[in-house]
Amino acid sequence: MNPFREDLVSRSRPEPCSIVIFGATGDLTHRKLVPALYNLAVDGELPTGVRIIGFARRDKSDEEFRSGLEELNKKVSRSGHDDEVWSHLAENIFYHKSEFNDADGYKSLAERLDQIDEERGGKGNRLFYIASAPEFFDDILIQLKNAGLNEAKDGCWARVIVEKPFGTDLATAKHLNEVVNSTFHESATYRIDHYLGKETAQNLMVLRFANAIFEPLWNSRYISHMQITCAENLGMEGGRGGYYEKSGALRDMVQNHLLQLLSLVAMEPPTDLSADGVRDEKVKVIRSLRQWDTPEKVAENVVRAQYTAGHVDGKEVLGYRQEDRVSPESDTEAYVAVRLLIDTWRWSGVPFYIRMGKQLPKKSTEISVHFKDAPNVLFGALTGGVPGGNVLVIRIQPDEGISLRMVSKIPGTSLRLEPVKMDFHYSTSFGKGSPEAYERLLLDAIAGDATLFARRDEVEEAWRFIDHIEHAWHQSDNPPPMAEYVAGSWGPKEADDLIKKDGHDWRRL
Amino acid sequence: MIQDLSDIGMEVPVSGIEKELRNLWAQDEARTNASLMNLVIYSEKKGSLAENSAFIRCLTQDHACRAILVEIDRSIEEKSLRAWITTHCHLANGKKSICCEQVAFHLTGRVTGRFRNTVFSHLDSDLPLVFWWQGELSDIFTERLASVIDRLIVDSSSWEQPAATFDRLTEAMEASSKLILQDLAWTRTWQFRVGVAGLFDDPVAQAALPKMESIRIVHHPKHRNCALQLLAWLSIQAGWNPTAKPEKGATKFSFAAKGGEIAIVLEADPNSAALGELVMSAGETTVSLKCNKESGMVLRKIESPMYHASSVSPADPEPATELIALQLSRGGKNSLFKKILPRFRELLS
Repeated sequence: MNPFREDLVSRSRPEPCSIVIFGATGDLTHRKLVPALYNLAVDGELPTGVRIIGFARRDKSDEEFRSGLEELNKKVSRSGHDDEVWSHLAENIFYHKSEFNDADGYKSLAERLDQIDEERGGKGNRLFYIASAPEFFDDILIQLKNAGLNEAKDGCWARVIVEKPFGTDLATAKHLNEVVNSTFHESATYRIDHYLGKETAQNLMVLRFANAIFEPLWNSRYISHMQITCAENLGMEGGRGGYYEKSGALRDMVQNHLLQLLSLVAMEPPTDLSADGVRDEKVKVIRSLRQWDTPEKVAENVVRAQYTAGHVDGKEVLGYRQEDRVSPESDTEAYVAVRLLIDTWRWSGVPFYIRMGKQLPKKSTEISVHFKDAPNVLFGALTGGVPGGNVLVIRIQPDEGISLRMVSKIPGTSLRLEPVKMDFHYSTSFGKGSPEAYERLLLDAIAGDATLFARRDEVEEAWRFIDHIEHAWHQSDNPPPMAEYVAGSWGPKEADDLIKKDGHDWRRL
Repeated sequence: MIQDLSDIGMEVPVSGIEKELRNLWAQDEARTNASLMNLVIYSEKKGSLAENSAFIRCLTQDHACRAILVEIDRSIEEKSLRAWITTHCHLANGKKSICCEQVAFHLTGRVTGRFRNTVFSHLDSDLPLVFWWQGELSDIFTERLASVIDRLIVDSSSWEQPAATFDRLTEAMEASSKLILQDLAWTRTWQFRVGVAGLFDDPVAQAALPKMESIRIVHHPKHRNCALQLLAWLSIQAGWNPTAKPEKGATKFSFAAKGGEIAIVLEADPNSAALGELVMSAGETTVSLKCNKESGMVLRKIESPMYHASSVSPADPEPATELIALQLSRGGKNSLFKKILPRFRELLS
C-alpha cells in the first residue's frame, strides 16, 4: 500500500511493469503505442520503472529500434517531442528479435524479463501487448504459455492486451478466446477497442447517469429512435484494399466499435463502476438484439453497398471495385446500414439504426437520439407546423461534443417555429486536449482497470449477431443484393428506404 | 491612477455593462461565447488591471470564463467606480472564433459593500465562482464574501504573516462548507507529490519507507511554505508525528515514525526552483526528486546498491498565472490540502 497515492488521481493506480509488444516493428507500435507511452511520460503519468520490450522478427539492435521509434514520435506525438523525456524513456526501451513461433525466442525473453525483474528487486509485473497480424495470435499465446510467461510471480501480475480483430466470425472468436483464456485468466485479458478510449465514449455514461434530466427520458416512451453513424471520407488508400476485402464494413467496424457504442447508449445503469459491473450491463444489450437469422430478415433489415466512382472533397475517386488490391468482382461491402431492435422492456419498439460507409462526404462518428414529437395540440395548425422533434447528438469524432436540438419561436409578431441547436464542444469548453485513446487504455491496462475493454462474452455475442448477416450474404442460396452509391454521396437509396419504412430519415451530418 | 487602459477594453457606464456586452456580441455572428465559470481576479496593486487582462487573454485559450477584474485603490478617499468591457477571442479548429467576456472594474474610496455588490451583480448565473485573491488578504475579505465563492485561490508565498492569514482562512472555511481553498504554494508541490507517489509504487522504495532516516528539502527562500506543505503531506500520509513543537522559522524538524526518528532539514537556496530537491534516505536506499529549472523537468530516482531506476516528469511552472491554469484543469475539492492544513499550520507557527 502506497500512502502517497491518496487523492492524487481519481483512477486506478498504474504500477511499474515490463511491457512486451509483439509486432514491435509495425505501424501500430510506431504510430500509436510508443507515442502514447511517451505522452504518458510527458504528463508524468507513466510509472517510474516501466520497461518496454519490442518483440519482432526483423533483425534490429536496441539502438536501431529506439531511433526508428524516435523518428516517428517526432512526427506524430500530440505533445511534440522533448529530447530529455525521450532519452529517459528510450533508456528503458529494448528490442528482442525472435520468430513468433520460436520457443527459444520466448525462453530468452523470459530470461531477459527475469533479469529486469531482478534489477527491480525481485518482483515484476508484465503486460504483453499483441499488436502483430492476427494470424500470429495463436502462436504467440501458446509460446507465452510454454515459456511460463503467462504466470505471474507472487504479488505481481501478468496481463495480455489483444488488438482487434477478435476473430473473423463466431467460431474463430471462440477459438481465439479459448486460446487466450487457456493462457491468461479472463480477468487478465484486455481486448482493446480504441473507440472506448475516446473522451465522448467515456462521457456517455456520465451524460446518462450523472445528469438527472436525461435518464427519465431514456426509454421507449420518449425516444422515437437512435442512429449511430460512422462516416469516412476515405477509400482504400495506402493498400488498405487487401485487408478490407477480407473484412468489409460490417466486420471491420460494426461488430466491434459500433456495437460497443450501441451497448453504452442502450444499457441499464450498472450497479457500480467496476469493470464487470459495466460490462455485465453492456453484454445484456448485445444479447437482447433481435437476431436477423434468415436471408429474408437480413434483406429486410440490412443494406450493404459498394461505392462507384465519384467525387470526395472535390477530388475524383475510383469506385470500390476499381481500387488497389480489390477484386473487380468483389462482394465485400464498403457500406452497411443495419436496423436493430433491442428486445428489452426499456427499448421495446424503438429501432436503432447503424450505418457505416467509406467514401462518404465527410469523416464523422456520432450517436443521435431522436425524441418523440411533443403532442401536436397547440402548434400543429401553424403554417409550417412544428419543425421536427428534439435530437440529442453525441459526437464521437472529430469535434467531440454534444448538441441538443430544440424548437424555438422565431422573433416577430407572428408565431413561427424553427429548430435551434445548443452546442457543447470539448475543444472550446475545455482547453486541455483530450489524451489519445491509446494513452488512456494503456494506462488502464497497467492499472488493472478493464472497464473500457471488451469482455469475452461481449465479443462472442456481437459475433453471434453479425454471423447471421454474413451467412445470409455469403452462404445463402438467395443472398440479399449488393447496392451501389456514388462516392461522395451519403450512401445508397436502399439505406434511405430502410429507415423510411419506419417513418424516419437519416440525420443530415 | 490606472497605468494602461489599452488592453482592458471599452469604458462603459457601470449600469450599462450587460447591455454593452450584448451589443458587443451582436456585432459579429461568427463568434461563439463560451463560459465554464466566473473568474474574479482581485488586486489592490496599482496597474493590475492591464496585467490581469493580459493573463486572462492567455488563460481563456484553455479555460472559457466570464472574467471580472477588480482593482481597488485604497489610497484615494474619493469614491469612484469605472468599468470596461472586452472579449478575448481565440480561433478553434482554424475557423470558429471562441470568445470570453471580460469586465474590468476600478474602485476607489471606501469599497467593501460596493465591491461585493458590483461583482455579484455581474456574475454569469449557474456557473461556479472562482476567486483569485492577489497579495495579502485585506479586511475586504469577509466571511460574507467567502460564503459565495466556490474556489478561492491565494498564494501564501506572497504573505508577510502566513500563520495569521491561514487562521482567518480556516475560519472562513469553517463558516462556508462549500469553499474550496487553493493555495498556489500547494499547487507548486504537485509534481513532487505525484513523483513521490510514483516512486513509492516501486517495491524497492516501498520496502525502504518504514526504514526512513532522513529527509532533505531544498527550496527557494520565497517558497518556504511549499517546502512546509510538502513536509506536512509526507508526514501525514506516512503517519509520522513531530517529536516537538517547531520554533518559528525552524529549518530542522524531527518526526517519530514506527522505524525510529526521522531528521528533516529544510535548505533555502536562492538559485533553487520553488521546490528544488527532495532527498529521502533509508539505509542504502535513496529516493529523490530534483527539479531542473532550465529544462523544466523533475528527475525522479531510486538508488540502492543493486537497483537504479529513473524517469523524468514535467516540473510545476513558476508563474502564478500558469499555476492557476493548471489548477483549473485539475479541479477537484482539494480535500487532501484540507487534511494536511492543520499539520502545515503546526509547522508554520
